[in-house]
Amino acid sequence: KYPYRVTCFLSHFYIFCGLTNAKAAEYLIRDGPNCLTPPPTTPEWVKFCRQLFGGFSILLWTGAILCFLAYAIQAATEDEPAGDNLYLGIVLSVVVIVTGCFSYFQEAKSSKIMESFKNMVPQQALVIREGEKMTINAEEVVAGDLVEVKGGDRIPADLRVVSAHGCKVDNSSLTGESEPQSRSPDCTHDNPLETRNVAFFSTNCVEGTARGIVVCTGDRTVMGRIATLTSGLESGKTPIAKEIEHFIHLITGVAVFLGITFFILAVFLGYSWLEAVIFLIGIIVANVPEGLLATVTVCLTLTAKRMAKKNCLVKNLEAVETLGSTSTICSDKTGTLTQNRMTVAHMWFDNQIHEADTTEDQSGASFDKTSITWGALARVAALCNRAVFKAGQDQLPILKRDTAGDASESALLKCIELSCGSVKQIREKNKKVAEIPFNSTNKYQLSVHETEDPNDNRYLLVMKGAPERILDRCSTIIIQGKEQPMDEEMKESFQNAYMELGGLGERVLGFCHLLMPEDQYPKGFAFDCDDVNFTTENLCFVGLMSMIDPPRAAVPDAVGKCRSAGIKVIMVTGDHPITAKAIAKGVGIISEGNETVEDIASRLNIPVSQVNPRDAKACVIHGTDLKDLSQDQMDDILRNHTEIVFARTSPQQKLIIVEGCQRLVSHTDTHTLTHTHGAIVAVTGDGVNDSPALKKADIGVAMGISGSDVSKQAADMILLDDNFASIVTGVEEGRLIFDNLKKSIAYTLTSNIPEITPFLLFIIVNIPLPLGTITILCIDLGTDMVPAISLAYEAAESDIMKRQPRNPTRDKLVNERLISIAYGQIGMIQALGGFFSYFVILAENGFLPSILVGIRLNWDDRSCNDLEDSYGQQWTYEQRKIVEFTCHTAFFVSIVVVQWADVIICKTRRNSVFQQGMKNKILIFGLFEETALAAFLSYTPGMDVALRMFPLKPSWWFCAVPYSVLIFVYDEIRKLLIRRNPGGWVERETYY
Amino acid sequence: MASNEDKPAVKEEENAGSWKDAIFNPRTGEFCGRTAKSWGLILLFYLVFYAFLAGMFVLTIWVMLMTLDDYVPRYRDRVPHPGLVIRPKELDMLINRSQPVQYTRYVQTLESFLQQYNDTEQERNEVCTAGDYFDQEGEVGEPKKACQFKRSSLSRCSGLSDSTFGFAEGRPCVLLKMNRIIGLKPRGEPYVNCTAKRDTPVQMQYFPSEGRFDKMYFPYYGNKLHERYVQPLVAVKLLLNKEDYNTELTIECRIEGSDLRNNDDRDKFLGRVTFRVTVVE
Repeated sequence: KYPYRVTCFLSHFYIFCGLTNAKAAEYLIRDGPNCLTPPPTTPEWVKFCRQLFGGFSILLWTGAILCFLAYAIQAATEDEPAGDNLYLGIVLSVVVIVTGCFSYFQEAKSSKIMESFKNMVPQQALVIREGEKMTINAEEVVAGDLVEVKGGDRIPADLRVVSAHGCKVDNSSLTGESEPQSRSPDCTHDNPLETRNVAFFSTNCVEGTARGIVVCTGDRTVMGRIATLTSGLESGKTPIAKEIEHFIHLITGVAVFLGITFFILAVFLGYSWLEAVIFLIGIIVANVPEGLLATVTVCLTLTAKRMAKKNCLVKNLEAVETLGSTSTICSDKTGTLTQNRMTVAHMWFDNQIHEADTTEDQSGASFDKTSITWGALARVAALCNRAVFKAGQDQLPILKRDTAGDASESALLKCIELSCGSVKQIREKNKKVAEIPFNSTNKYQLSVHETEDPNDNRYLLVMKGAPERILDRCSTIIIQGKEQPMDEEMKESFQNAYMELGGLGERVLGFCHLLMPEDQYPKGFAFDCDDVNFTTENLCFVGLMSMIDPPRAAVPDAVGKCRSAGIKVIMVTGDHPITAKAIAKGVGIISEGNETVEDIASRLNIPVSQVNPRDAKACVIHGTDLKDLSQDQMDDILRNHTEIVFARTSPQQKLIIVEGCQRLVSHTDTHTLTHTHGAIVAVTGDGVNDSPALKKADIGVAMGISGSDVSKQAADMILLDDNFASIVTGVEEGRLIFDNLKKSIAYTLTSNIPEITPFLLFIIVNIPLPLGTITILCIDLGTDMVPAISLAYEAAESDIMKRQPRNPTRDKLVNERLISIAYGQIGMIQALGGFFSYFVILAENGFLPSILVGIRLNWDDRSCNDLEDSYGQQWTYEQRKIVEFTCHTAFFVSIVVVQWADVIICKTRRNSVFQQGMKNKILIFGLFEETALAAFLSYTPGMDVALRMFPLKPSWWFCAVPYSVLIFVYDEIRKLLIRRNPGGWVERETYY
Repeated sequence: MASNEDKPAVKEEENAGSWKDAIFNPRTGEFCGRTAKSWGLILLFYLVFYAFLAGMFVLTIWVMLMTLDDYVPRYRDRVPHPGLVIRPKELDMLINRSQPVQYTRYVQTLESFLQQYNDTEQERNEVCTAGDYFDQEGEVGEPKKACQFKRSSLSRCSGLSDSTFGFAEGRPCVLLKMNRIIGLKPRGEPYVNCTAKRDTPVQMQYFPSEGRFDKMYFPYYGNKLHERYVQPLVAVKLLLNKEDYNTELTIECRIEGSDLRNNDDRDKFLGRVTFRVTVVE
């Protein structure tokens, strides 16, 4: 139990003297330093191993191990084992290790940026020990210490306040409330989070001073408990990791199926068991797309970099895509949706509500400033105000300047400074002679000033405070500069304005003044503020001003974009329901025209219980109500309301809400046996109170500027500019990379078929091997790389922000249709293109297709040096091997040629290439690069020895061109049919 | 909006099911996730698609074959020099003099190989002028004549006088032949020279004399035009003595005296051949 109720048995002596140094040292040893235990960081080598053995790498490792196994079998059974399997195994291992290192360093870079966020300056605390004030390191504060805090300090530990002078703390990082809370020694609530007499570790003291006894330090503080709650949560796999897993299953299925089929065939064809096993392994390994791991990693990295440029820093590469799959965003209010800065939003004077400009760049509407009443109101607001700008900020725009003082007074200060010029001058002209600061019993603040007019010796009394209290003290009201008696009509008008502004979730203050009659209060009158010796009644009401933490300018647009992208935006905040609802309406989370149950009830004038909850699309749920909801009711709310605001929520409740959202889709599947993924939920937040939810979410998005360290640690992504609108960029990039990865994978997988079929035909019909291991690697790790990566730069085919988020159960990264297209259709055409050039080369050198079938046994026999071709010529082993390797080279070049067409058709999945255009410069570069690389490999002197690749005659480059054209034409027709018959058979069977 | 959300849920319900349903779902009649009609359509599609591809492939191959010459391959740059091979086709010969069963297979190979060189057969061929290329002009597709190479010219290695080709006496004959290459005209006077890889030389006898490949057997015009062509042979008789028995003799034969390559690093059979002979008493 939290020891917030420290009974006051403490003597006065203690309150002045604090702990003895010896005791403090003893407690420090007992409790440990006053700091949060950092979450157990994963050691670097574990992170590295995760990169090495995670996800896709497993597939390649398996391939490598199979290769070594095959080589071992060959080495044990043959005299001169072919080195192919050994090389392949080594290359596979190298590929995994290199890409592993690459992504490890990529993520290390992100985490370095993370480190830079950490505040390295050690916090100091002012403690009283043995009656002496001393400044010590905040880490050395122990339970029982007497601590003094003043405005601007960070609270060093959880404090039980014993004395306070106008102390206010900003709890927003803990609870999400944007308004500062006053702190006093009185225990006002059972809940430690609600009571007035506890100040929490790592929150800020905004103003005033307080003295408190440390009740908890380090991990035992409220903040520490939330941080511990966070580290206890397991975050699930990212959607892209699940997709890659699914892809591996598919690819392994195909590989094993092919392998087993041809194993059985090989045995039937009379190969020995060992040979058949080698074939089996060969086929399985040939199915492994060696280059894909690198391609996927590079694509994700490129996107991560692009997002970082747009202020989305991604901590985990795989999280790049997650925002794209997101179907629900649970957003914190303060700081994310709002500016986290109180600003004057409305004023009421001359019996009229005026709107103030709340935008960050002062681009909003203005109001009539010529009214005399406004002048009076501005004067009261400027004078009855203790806030001042901090020094040395003259060159900064007014709204950016730092102020000392209460948030609402600062708001008033900035408002007046903006519209009436220097407040400092106003104050200098009207010297303050007396002041009663705000206190909770009076609920007002007043001050008495000299007037601007040196001839006028009257004093000006200005007062501001809770509107109803101010009204009570007024007998007149100023309208259009003229004082009028406060009649019932005016009072009602005041009430309406007050209700309306309050209903907007704004904090309303009333202002009044009085020019004191000179006869009663002559110049030099001694105003006594403790024992009030002057009138505070029968004042003249001036007006109301209301303040709110206004939404950021870009947020409504961003929310709108999310909505049109089919993403539900839910607000989860620790703030009050009314404020939350007002902001929700302001940013469009509750869209115009949508009503909550309460709205309907008040409109129809019926009790809330009579309203059909289904009629209300929007709802605002209070944290205390949330407590009583069952899981089913919770799901019901989440399902049936499209616009939801949760207010007054605790960190645990945020967690429950996130879990509820994640359950949303899968709920209907619970009666079946299959395990399906739920909705993908993004959570944004900056406070410590958000961090458990950030961790639990599929993607947690923390704020880079205002976010607490704990929240940044828990998050997967950080918005460097704290702007919710950056999330939209993330969604867009995430969706784009998902589409483009599909294309990239379709492209890379296609060349698998022309790589496998040569080996299969070699086994089945005993032809000389058309394509060797080295050339396969040259394709996978050489020529295919740049074009595959270039597809990551491909522009979207349609407005990706106008469609629904993908359904994780149905819209897979790699599905059967993609395999069917890549393997069954395009791959087959490619294989034929390769075989055609193979047959051409052999035929032109004398080996016609008719004699090739079955020739393999003699062909590969080293002792047969007079193998006869179709023309009667005889070939030595080496001579015909050169022809064979020339065939490998030609097959390789043919694959490059057909991959030209493939990369062009992979640019789009639905549109014609003619609609899409060839604007992707990287792709065009890729086309030239792969061609140049192929030419280089074929023509460079020495390649015949190094890679056993031989120069091709120019005509052989063109063998595969007809097949390349066929691929292009075939796919254009297919896409035309898809566009012509939406939902037709072609789309159902081939749209991937 | 609410109705939108319900739709996918219903779909998933259909998709979901136990693994048994995944193979055959009796409710929908789906086998492996497809109905019979769906299977039929996709199989039909692939049938038509592959039939088309096969057609296209055959067509391109046919077009390619049309462009080829019937008698001479388009490119001969991969076989610029002939290989040298031996008969019997065995690079490791173990000959046990006293056990005829052991060496008969060599004898049989040689015998059947020499059938086409039988004098009766060869007398139907031209008698050509020794020392000159047998160039034959003529229309395209006109059959070419072949020069005779009589078996008897191999004399002691012809198998005529000694039907065991010297195997029985422990002095085996090995036939050497040069690979046929269309249009090959070796310059100079190519002859075979064999050496044993040991300090003391081994006596050898060549047939025809000096182990010459006569120029009249060149050029070769390909198996369609030059149907009766036979390659010239050189027989080497290893004149082994008792002291040479029971040891492995490594013998290397090269074509010398011409422009034909016999020292390629990679190809050990280009203009040369190395074999090992062990004779056991």
